[in-house]
Amino acid sequence: MKLVVHDLAHEEYAAWFGESTADTEIIENDGGIRSCFGCFGCWVRTPGACVLKDGYQHMGEKLAACDELVLISRCVYGSYSPFVRNILERSISYLLPYFVKQNGETHHRNRYDHSFKLTVHFYGEAITDAERNTARELTAANAINLYAREVQVAFHNSPQASGEGWQ
Amino acid sequence: MKIAMVNGSPKAGKSNSGILLAALEPLIAAGNELVSYRVNHKPLTPEQVQELCRVDALVLAFPLYIDAIPSQLLRMMVELEACRQQDHTKNIRVYALINNGFYEGRQNHLAVDILRNWCARCGFSFGMAIGQGAGEMLGSLEKVPIGHGPLKNLGKAMERLAFAILNGTGGETLYLQPNFPRIAWRLAAVHGFWHSAAKKNGLKKKDLLRRL
Repeated sequence: MKLVVHDLAHEEYAAWFGESTADTEIIENDGGIRSCFGCFGCWVRTPGACVLKDGYQHMGEKLAACDELVLISRCVYGSYSPFVRNILERSISYLLPYFVKQNGETHHRNRYDHSFKLTVHFYGEAITDAERNTARELTAANAINLYAREVQVAFHNSPQASGEGWQ
Repeated sequence: MKIAMVNGSPKAGKSNSGILLAALEPLIAAGNELVSYRVNHKPLTPEQVQELCRVDALVLAFPLYIDAIPSQLLRMMVELEACRQQDHTKNIRVYALINNGFYEGRQNHLAVDILRNWCARCGFSFGMAIGQGAGEMLGSLEKVPIGHGPLKNLGKAMERLAFAILNGTGGETLYLQPNFPRIAWRLAAVHGFWHSAAKKNGLKKKDLLRRL
């Protein structure tokens, strides 16, 4: 199953990327998403699920069920856009609170024996070289923390160009 | 000099970012006007964003979330960039106090890079940042004065940050680990935090490993 997280309007996504197929799940902004508020409830109150019941509380399970996670995001200073970041923040139940050491650095232990391919399409006009470098490094760091088996990053001038690259 | 102290912790109540800002305040308060802001689930008003466009220095304190800047603070940064396009008269310096849950303060470096990229877009001058590892220790060490014991490194770094803010200069970004070993942090997190929190919630240790 492919899980797509994007920050486009629903119609914009459908126009450029086509309708979703049976093996693709789309996560998009319905206007009602709440911000993670750092309560750690997804680790110590309702392990595996976020405590905020706004329709985005099952991201950890969804990551555990996907073969590929596709992020389509405006590149914002070398980061994902606030919405895509919000989704990632709401996904930490995919991991355990416990620490492990990998290559001399601390990371969270994985909850599931699972790995997915991480594909990121950044779009935006005039993304600077510094922003591209940051975005590449950020994606690589996320791939380590999320136990992704493979990571691919692309930059596009517009979401439309992302759609073409996607086909 | 007008200095905005922005607490970008997503938490509603007490936060490690708030503790860091409170420790910095007495070092820079004399002769300056310090104004505090909180950016959590409740966003800043447009008027508050405009106020930030008119300060001399911005101090952003926030926790590292998934290797970068928490989404609600990032949203405020986007709004401030838009405001800056209308009101770009002030030369504003940006300083940052970042803390992360992992032991290594170095893991904050991408958040610093994002801040630098933001400063370039806004025409702000990036001043200096501190990236403190094991940030969750701060809440349990509130009675330990910064500059002592596990917070010895942080105390020295705070003095350098305060010097840079007061003199309107930049400084080397400092990534800090606490003054105790990594294993101590791991054990403190497991037993002092995760397991005791689970118990309070009526859960057993094995419940934390639940797969859905």
